[in-house]
Amino acid sequence: MNDLLAAIFSTGFFVTIVRTTTPLLFATLGGLISDLAGALNVALEGMMLIAALTAVVVSVYAPWYVAVLAAVAMAALFGALMAFFHLRLKADIILVGFAVNFLAAGGTVFALSIATGGDKGTSSNLASKAVPAIDLSFLDGIPLVGHVLSGLLSGHSLLSWLALLTVFGLWYFLYHMPQGIWLRSVGEYPAAPEAAGIPVNRIRVWALVASGVLSGLAGAQLAMFNYVGFTRDMTNGRGFIALGAVLLGARHPLGALFAALLFGMFEALSVVLPSIFTWIPSEIVVSIPFAVTIVALLLFSYRAMKARQMLGGA
Amino acid sequence: MQPLLEAKAIGKTYPGGTVANNGVNLSVRAGEVHAVVGENGAGKSTLMKILFGIEQPDRGELLLDGKPVRFANPRQAIDAGIGMVFQHFSLVPSLSVYENVVLGSEPRAGIRFDRKRAIEEVKALSERFRLSVDPLPAVNSIPVGQQQRVEILKALYRDARILILDEPTAVLAPQEVEELFAAIRSLVAQGRTVIFIAHKLPEVLEISNSITVMRAGKTVGQVNTRDVTEQSLATMMVGSEVTLRVDRAPTARDRCVLDATAVSVSKDNGKPACTAVDLKVNSGEIVGLVGVEGNGQAEFMEAISGVRAVASGSIRIGGTDIGAMSVLQRRHEGLACIPQDRLAEGLAPGASLAENMVATRLDDKRYVRNGILDLKAIRNNAKGLIDKYSIRAAGPHAAAGTLSGGNMQKVVVARELSERPEVLLVSQPTRGVDLGATQFIWRSITDARDAGAAVLLSSADLSELLALSDRLVVFYHGEIVAMLDNSDAVTPELLGAYMLGLKRQSHNEMKVAV
Amino acid sequence: MSAPATDKWKTVRAETARLLTAVVIALLVALAVIMLTSKTPVDTFRTLLTGPLTSKRTLGLWVDEAAKLTVTGLAFSLVFQARQFAMGVQGQVYVGGLAATLVALSPVGTTVLGMPLAVLAAMAAGAVYGFIPGYAKAKLGANEIVSSLMLNYIAVYFITFVVRVPLSAGPGLMQSADFPPASMFAVLVPKTRIDLGLVLALVAIALVWFALYRTSWGLKLRLVGHNARFAEYAGIKATFIMVSAMTASGALGGLLGSMYVQGQTFGRLTYGFEGGLAFEGILIAIVAKSRPLAVPIVAICYGYLLQGAEIMGIRTDVPTEVIAVVRALIILLVASSFKLGLGSMLKKLVSGGAKTGEANAAEAGR
Repeated sequence: MNDLLAAIFSTGFFVTIVRTTTPLLFATLGGLISDLAGALNVALEGMMLIAALTAVVVSVYAPWYVAVLAAVAMAALFGALMAFFHLRLKADIILVGFAVNFLAAGGTVFALSIATGGDKGTSSNLASKAVPAIDLSFLDGIPLVGHVLSGLLSGHSLLSWLALLTVFGLWYFLYHMPQGIWLRSVGEYPAAPEAAGIPVNRIRVWALVASGVLSGLAGAQLAMFNYVGFTRDMTNGRGFIALGAVLLGARHPLGALFAALLFGMFEALSVVLPSIFTWIPSEIVVSIPFAVTIVALLLFSYRAMKARQMLGGA
Repeated sequence: MQPLLEAKAIGKTYPGGTVANNGVNLSVRAGEVHAVVGENGAGKSTLMKILFGIEQPDRGELLLDGKPVRFANPRQAIDAGIGMVFQHFSLVPSLSVYENVVLGSEPRAGIRFDRKRAIEEVKALSERFRLSVDPLPAVNSIPVGQQQRVEILKALYRDARILILDEPTAVLAPQEVEELFAAIRSLVAQGRTVIFIAHKLPEVLEISNSITVMRAGKTVGQVNTRDVTEQSLATMMVGSEVTLRVDRAPTARDRCVLDATAVSVSKDNGKPACTAVDLKVNSGEIVGLVGVEGNGQAEFMEAISGVRAVASGSIRIGGTDIGAMSVLQRRHEGLACIPQDRLAEGLAPGASLAENMVATRLDDKRYVRNGILDLKAIRNNAKGLIDKYSIRAAGPHAAAGTLSGGNMQKVVVARELSERPEVLLVSQPTRGVDLGATQFIWRSITDARDAGAAVLLSSADLSELLALSDRLVVFYHGEIVAMLDNSDAVTPELLGAYMLGLKRQSHNEMKVAV
Repeated sequence: MSAPATDKWKTVRAETARLLTAVVIALLVALAVIMLTSKTPVDTFRTLLTGPLTSKRTLGLWVDEAAKLTVTGLAFSLVFQARQFAMGVQGQVYVGGLAATLVALSPVGTTVLGMPLAVLAAMAAGAVYGFIPGYAKAKLGANEIVSSLMLNYIAVYFITFVVRVPLSAGPGLMQSADFPPASMFAVLVPKTRIDLGLVLALVAIALVWFALYRTSWGLKLRLVGHNARFAEYAGIKATFIMVSAMTASGALGGLLGSMYVQGQTFGRLTYGFEGGLAFEGILIAIVAKSRPLAVPIVAICYGYLLQGAEIMGIRTDVPTEVIAVVRALIILLVASSFKLGLGSMLKKLVSGGAKTGEANAAEAGR
């Protein structure tokens, strides 16, 4: 027990949490944007996977930032594809999302095999690159708190800082820019923006593309920092957990941050627990994030239902 | 002086055959308040949709400032200076008042939404036009009267020269109506023009300068307000054709089958729809619920069918209190219901006719034994009903959604009447239905009555009510204001007067009728 | 009557034409990918298209896979008919397999009751696992997509743990002990995998069809799927129907689990035994328009393609996974309402479209 507490309250654990949270946070923000625009993206999982592979393969031949951009572009492309099939060809957005997930699951293995010359499991024979960590060890110099600060803040991925910025950027966009307000109106009550001449469908297209961009960043972080390289099915349900986080975060960017942190913490726990409690089977540990997501979903739905009942009865 | 806005010989037929407008003329002068009046189904809202670019006319033309115009979408109408305030507001519930007003044309400071300026501009606008409303709260937290002001401000923010208000007073309390009129007067004083669609004649006479009267998709008159009275307007609105009456055999109306006592029902938003309504319906009679839509009849009917809860009061069928019963249980007590929206509430369009016709009786041993469907019995039942009601369809297997409106309604009627109900609730039975099917459905309703059913008929079609009803009950503002035996003395004009709140029976007069 | 028969036939023909167009498009895209990545594209494509026919064994694999695809297709069809998006078949397969394993490896497993009891246990476990997201949705309004997907992961991980530790047949082995022959499905065609599971799949088709089209429960389910508001007006309890649909679908998922572990494919509980097949049910249900009698036909055709892709992966230089492109494109194209020249021409010939003006106008106005 003491070991556990010591592990949790260490700066190292915080660093782990940041690492696990970053892809979840990006994916959650991507889900949030699409949900707020009224076109829920259930293909976050697939987009992340595609982006991860793209990042790995491109980084073999180009600098890390080109790889990240390529990953983002690829995922954004799929966002546009989803918009085409949903808005133009009137296919149900959930079915379109699952089609993309299927394409990603098989397609990434296929592409991996081609890229590695036959390895369908990992990209270990590829020299892929990593996103740089930001070294803030100069903080050590600060008296008293320097060590703690540098322990907490140094060494995070560049993308982790970007994720934090994105939370605030998204908040600013949604609540302080006209286009953000348009996006929220489109998702909440499309008749109003329509009557005001706002192009409802075009906004939904941008929302899906944006959710692709964010999923792309999630995939890049996953395959260029959390792990360096691609493994088949490496997203392992994070895209669906992100959907749970969207709901849990009350559909607000700050809520998304806290929800993603919560799930990131449980994923970090699942990394730390086996070394402390060696008797817990790894499968149980790995299941924790999924179980937590269900519990959170149920609790949140219960609360939301109670709130609706109170309003309705008034 | 040339009119500002003109509509000439507008015609519009919806796909499916409904003729909404058939020769509509409108002539509005600049700076006036112009009212457009007519019964439900007269074609007013179609005309407004055409003016605002939501629909396009099949025939006729629109002239703005003497020049022909055509609006392919609302944006074009807005750019031309036309603003519309719908009955069902297009406001985003969680956004604040000022955010809704400026939506789509937000003032900016660089890339930022300049909230401060937006609030100031909205405040200035609301003061200028006497439409006082606090710009800050969320729209879903303010009362309906204020929401309407937000809608009007929206149009004014985009510099609308002509404002079209669709039944603006329908949702307002009397004081709010006065405030709205003050706002309209100030709008006109500042050079705007207002067109408003209305039912309530006293208000029309108070606020408008000229009036266009529509009936059955046509313009039947354009008058100056000072040249008409309420009575003459009512006559123009409801017409004075000879009404058809279906031969009704006298029946023994001895039993009181449906007994509603002090029934009060609330609308979805919590406001009262009808208050302390007493109504008794005997076996073998048709009671027609007369009233302009929105005066509580629909909610009253829903309370009897079980789809809506009763706020207070009791409902009995054959002496049994059904207040706590579910829809299915009420059906067991002998209740049948022909709902007002057959596609949304009366049928499953994707299912077959046979399936639709048996949907309400899935616990009946003739069709279902031990959970297993007796397909033959179900199909034969459907075949029989298709023959009996002359339903034009490919067969019992045809999907209900492939039928025409009239035939779909026949399916609903066939299903509900086939079990010889004790109490039959009928809403808008022939809305959107062709003449042939209409006659048939009327005959079916009177047959049910002859067989002893107590029928409650709610309709916006006065000729239908006069043709079928033994007794007529008029709803106004959630109360019964008149109860009359149907006879030649009851004319549309007389009913119109009660419907529009011009006249009201005393308690004693109503007792005599029962 | 001849009139309704020709009507129905015409719609079937029109729908099939649209479907074939989608399949052709998907295969053409796959061909393009193969041409870009294979050193012997023609050979590869030929293997894809003819692989399953090459030997008795491959034919057997095809039939066996078609049977399994049928069951998952039926499971998804049930929930889709009620307009729910429960995605939990995979989890149901795993818990069903586990339940069957527990019975098979218990003392009962060696008796003549072993096989049937194991199947029933599997179906019961699957039913419970399908009930959970349904109940959560009915009582709490919880999104069934997320809850069912989470349950999938939990089930898969749990069974992985089970075969690694408690039921492991030996150190380092990720599988349980072999089932006693009494608990296994008898072989139907020797030297192939075709076993009793095929019969169970056929029985499942009959049962689901019967339930949907011959029972009042099925009629209620379909009415709720068509128009839940009308169903309420007619006195049908929509929430109960939705939950029971997901539960029944769960039983089918459990059945599929028993088909895997008790069948010739494995005869034991083993790591990852389902191999992702459960999710193919989504495609099958969409293409078959959730109709139980169309499901086996789609399963046979799609199973053929899957087998072809599998064999192509083994025998040529193109990986099996290229079929993911076909899978995604078929779903996208079938779920869309596009008008290809051929498709819309056929439609005009048939009946001027399925719905008349009023239904169309009402939809447009919605």
